[in-house]
Amino acid sequence: MHELAAFLHLWLWFGVRQLRIHLWRTLAVLVGIALGAAVFTSVRLAVEASLDSFTKSVDALSGKSDWTVLCPGGRVPEALLAGLVKHPAVQAASPLSTTYVQIGEETAEPFLLIGLDPILDRPLRTWQSASPVSPDSFSNPPSNPQPPSSAIRNPTLPWLELMTEPYTMIAGAQLYDAARLQDRSYVSLVHPHGTGTFRVLGRLAAEGLAMVEGGKIAVTDMATFQEFTGTHGTVDRIDLMLKPAAAADGLERLRAELPPGIVLEQPSDFKESGRLMVRSYQLNLSVLSFVSLFVGMFLIYSLISLHAISRRKELAILRSLGASSRLVFLLFLAEGAFFGILGWLLAIPLGSFMVRYLLGHVSSTISVLFVRVEVERLVLDPAEVLLSFLTTLLVSLLAAWQPAHEAMQVAPREALQAQDYPYRHGTSGKRLALFGFALIALVWPLSRLPGVDGVPVPGYVATFFLFTGFSLISPRVLQYIGKLLPPVLRHLAGEPAYLGGRHIRDAGTRIAISVGALITATALFVALVIMVHSFKKTVELWLTQTISGDLYLRPRLAAVNHYRDTLAPETVEIVKRFSEQADILPYRRIYLHYGTVPYQFELMDFEGFMKYAQFLFLDGDLQQLLPQLVEGRGVIVSEVFANQTGTGIGKHFQARIGNVRLDLPVVGIFRDYRSQGGAVYYSMQRFQDLSGDPSWSGVRFNFTDPQMTRDDAANLLRNELLQALGPLQYGVEVTLGRELRQMILRIFDETFAITTVLLLIALAVATLGITSTLTVLVLDRTRQFLTILACGGARGQVRLMILWEALIMVFTGEILGLACGFTLSYLLIFVINRQSFGWTFLYTVDWPALLLALPLILATAVLATLPSGQIVFRTPPARVLREW
Amino acid sequence: MTSRKPPTAPTPPASSVPGSQPACPGLPGSGRQLQIEARGLTRIYQLGVSEVVGIDNIDLQISNGELVVLKGNSGSGKSTLLALLAGLDQPTRGGLIVAGRNLNQATTRELTQYRRETVGVVFQSFNLLPTLTVLENVSLPALLAGRAFSTVTAKASELLAWLGLAPRLDHLPAQLSGGEMQRTAIARALINDPAIILADEPTGNLDSLNGRIVMELLGSVNRNLGTTIIIATHSDLADSIATTAIGLKDGAIIDSVCTS
Repeated sequence: MHELAAFLHLWLWFGVRQLRIHLWRTLAVLVGIALGAAVFTSVRLAVEASLDSFTKSVDALSGKSDWTVLCPGGRVPEALLAGLVKHPAVQAASPLSTTYVQIGEETAEPFLLIGLDPILDRPLRTWQSASPVSPDSFSNPPSNPQPPSSAIRNPTLPWLELMTEPYTMIAGAQLYDAARLQDRSYVSLVHPHGTGTFRVLGRLAAEGLAMVEGGKIAVTDMATFQEFTGTHGTVDRIDLMLKPAAAADGLERLRAELPPGIVLEQPSDFKESGRLMVRSYQLNLSVLSFVSLFVGMFLIYSLISLHAISRRKELAILRSLGASSRLVFLLFLAEGAFFGILGWLLAIPLGSFMVRYLLGHVSSTISVLFVRVEVERLVLDPAEVLLSFLTTLLVSLLAAWQPAHEAMQVAPREALQAQDYPYRHGTSGKRLALFGFALIALVWPLSRLPGVDGVPVPGYVATFFLFTGFSLISPRVLQYIGKLLPPVLRHLAGEPAYLGGRHIRDAGTRIAISVGALITATALFVALVIMVHSFKKTVELWLTQTISGDLYLRPRLAAVNHYRDTLAPETVEIVKRFSEQADILPYRRIYLHYGTVPYQFELMDFEGFMKYAQFLFLDGDLQQLLPQLVEGRGVIVSEVFANQTGTGIGKHFQARIGNVRLDLPVVGIFRDYRSQGGAVYYSMQRFQDLSGDPSWSGVRFNFTDPQMTRDDAANLLRNELLQALGPLQYGVEVTLGRELRQMILRIFDETFAITTVLLLIALAVATLGITSTLTVLVLDRTRQFLTILACGGARGQVRLMILWEALIMVFTGEILGLACGFTLSYLLIFVINRQSFGWTFLYTVDWPALLLALPLILATAVLATLPSGQIVFRTPPARVLREW
Repeated sequence: MTSRKPPTAPTPPASSVPGSQPACPGLPGSGRQLQIEARGLTRIYQLGVSEVVGIDNIDLQISNGELVVLKGNSGSGKSTLLALLAGLDQPTRGGLIVAGRNLNQATTRELTQYRRETVGVVFQSFNLLPTLTVLENVSLPALLAGRAFSTVTAKASELLAWLGLAPRLDHLPAQLSGGEMQRTAIARALINDPAIILADEPTGNLDSLNGRIVMELLGSVNRNLGTTIIIATHSDLADSIATTAIGLKDGAIIDSVCTS
């Protein structure tokens, strides 16, 4: 304790005061670390909040069920329920159906309507009305039948009214408040099957089922649900709670008794599948946000390193007075810890602000790309907070380690030297460069390694090696530039340029650190610009070639409901009447799982498709494969599906969809950028023959006349369609092809908005680092600059010298950053993205953006030297140049 | 910075131990314990491909309580010898025993302890830490030695008062004159009650008046506390207080004169 007190005393004297004296550079580093920590923490908290919301939803919906009876690609016959309830292994069984509906107008936010049996569901799920419903009179809606006069109304069991009164519902708190519902009020709900007027019995108490989707739900009786959605006699699933004594063979017997096409799964499978999908996104965002902290590490390294060098004489004095080298090491390590701890504390308000912005974007991106989440509030997970603190502290300590180690090497003998020589020639950098090249060389073999459980671990390691390798070679590169460039600069720009270049050669690792930070930030900028541009260009190509329909018709809320509802037969008949105006291409889309990997099984008319569109094949050619595909003798799969399931060309695609069992060779792999999983395409005609199910999930219209003005014609067709559909139009969405493609691109832009923000923050931290380091480097050489003045140099010449140094440093950082960035872009596109999400893109470089941005970075960093030039001349030269 | 009248010959603090007159080393019957013994002491520096001999084959014996002046021009080896005696450096060959410690076999930890407990060093350029106050600079070695803060600061205040620096306790080095800085450095050297004080050109950066005062102070410390003092200088100011004068040239002792 006494030793700790003594150490703290020493550190306050030796460390804190120094930081206070150089307040601006201390603040610059603190702000850099705070930004990095804030970004890292807020991103993780935002994603965790979404994951937490998703997990809570799934858990609340699953309740106490152990197993779930499902029909992949279809619905479970309700008739199964009777047998399951009586099964010896089953303690309780409850049917459940869900669908997304809207209140009233088309633009309203959809919410989840849950249909269940209020009595059978009691043992499995917790839900209760928050307020009892009084048996007061109510106004009759025009279309609903009169309520039974002898209806059971029990104020203590309002949920019973769900059974006794058709078209009643109890709303979750979030929905209740957002839609401004009132007890006993009526609300019109819209579903693809039609509209229905529901009476609101009350709101759900905040427990159990009310937690699903943040409370944006409503519960209704199963019979009402089936009538409203047109799913008579079927349910989405039957949840089972098994008897505690039910043995494994009881379960197997149960499984064997299920009819073909019906499976038994655990509710946790869906949860795990969802979490796995989000995990890659979470990891990628975490790594990206960590870069800001990583760049901040350079700031700490740079500043502590400069302190260690500029205070060398003081260190020698300390050593000569009896301070051990270990004490000196700990003093500098404590400085690193100080930056880490204080920076993290400063990150708290910054992070609170950032997370509010990020939460909405992250949850919306996750909902669009992976699984639907409704985040009502941020969850401050202590584990995440601790992780953030420890990561920041560890990064800071790591950054301080090397300078502290160098500081402890100062010999006490140096105290005897009369003059203070804070400026030392840097190390040669040869060994560092060799190590750096070795790391860079390892990038390619690492990139060939597969991911670990879908996590591109070798890819991330390769990325780290790339950043570190380029940073390590920078001193050597600077030395070469410092050797080759000065004579050239002398001819071109005079003596100040020459001196500036000479300093670059001699400064060695001192300036290489901040150049390393700039390399990292520039590389990330370049790589992300290329990746986002490649992604966007590929998506645009995919849209114009594959999503090339002129008009699309599908059931209302089809996407959010995962195309569970097909087009009504009446709607199909009306659509068929328009076959003379345009080519009609129906499709069927079924959401399934391949193991734990979600995908969409899509049925189409390949020949019709080929007239107007094409797949972007990675492997295979549709013309050659067409006969095989038309006859249903093979499937083509998306790149995502192939990468995530390992089911590529030469392998067999196996699935059970309803009563159809498929075992088909994979004959082609194509690029596809839809959200929520991969895709498998099969012949619609063949599937309909096998299944006997002629349903359509949607229709694509293509005009046959290529000269036609497509938008006008599409608009006209849309209006005619809606008119022909009449009241059925409320159950469908009709979208212009152009609008659909624009919407997809907008989703794309929103998805990458977060990435762009994180990138800009990393650049800001790096610029801060360059600015503060340049300033410190200049200030520490005040004596040199003033000596130049004493020898006849002009102030303008000294300023030019500083400017040329900055130009060369930043230019070197940008060139190396470019090289690193191009390499990183390959890693991101062909390794990390492929292993994380399953897709790759066509590699294209956004040269205009790069050519515009890089000079801007150069200019920004160079502007940073202006204040330091002023500060140098503030001190009277005579005072600085005296020996003491 | 206003110049203050430097103090005259100070009265030693109450804790001083009166000692008998120092005697020349090696004199039979002097009864003095040998404090420093060097045999064949050599220090060679490697500078790139060339070697520079700092000191060459020096034999030296200094008794307890002596005040030795090392004289010689620049490059004579004074600072090198002092560095070895201060435990700031280690010899290339030869033996060096100081206050019973064998310095050329000492580990880094032992040398650190030696610097804390056995020697106090006064530098030519004072070497005060610029961000610490006078009191804190003086307290520093004792704190490094693990002594309690309150005890240390009390003793430091007493030492500084003895040296006439009581009004300057909270001043930073930049606010002191050269003489005040060197007196602060002397107080710092004394805080751990060292057996030996080594002063490397202590008056090199001072005017003649302050230089004389510093020398008188060192003489007073030697007389009143019995501390062995070795001063490396090419000034004559130390002649009047020295018991022994050793001349160095080109890294070797050229003469040794008992002046007491």
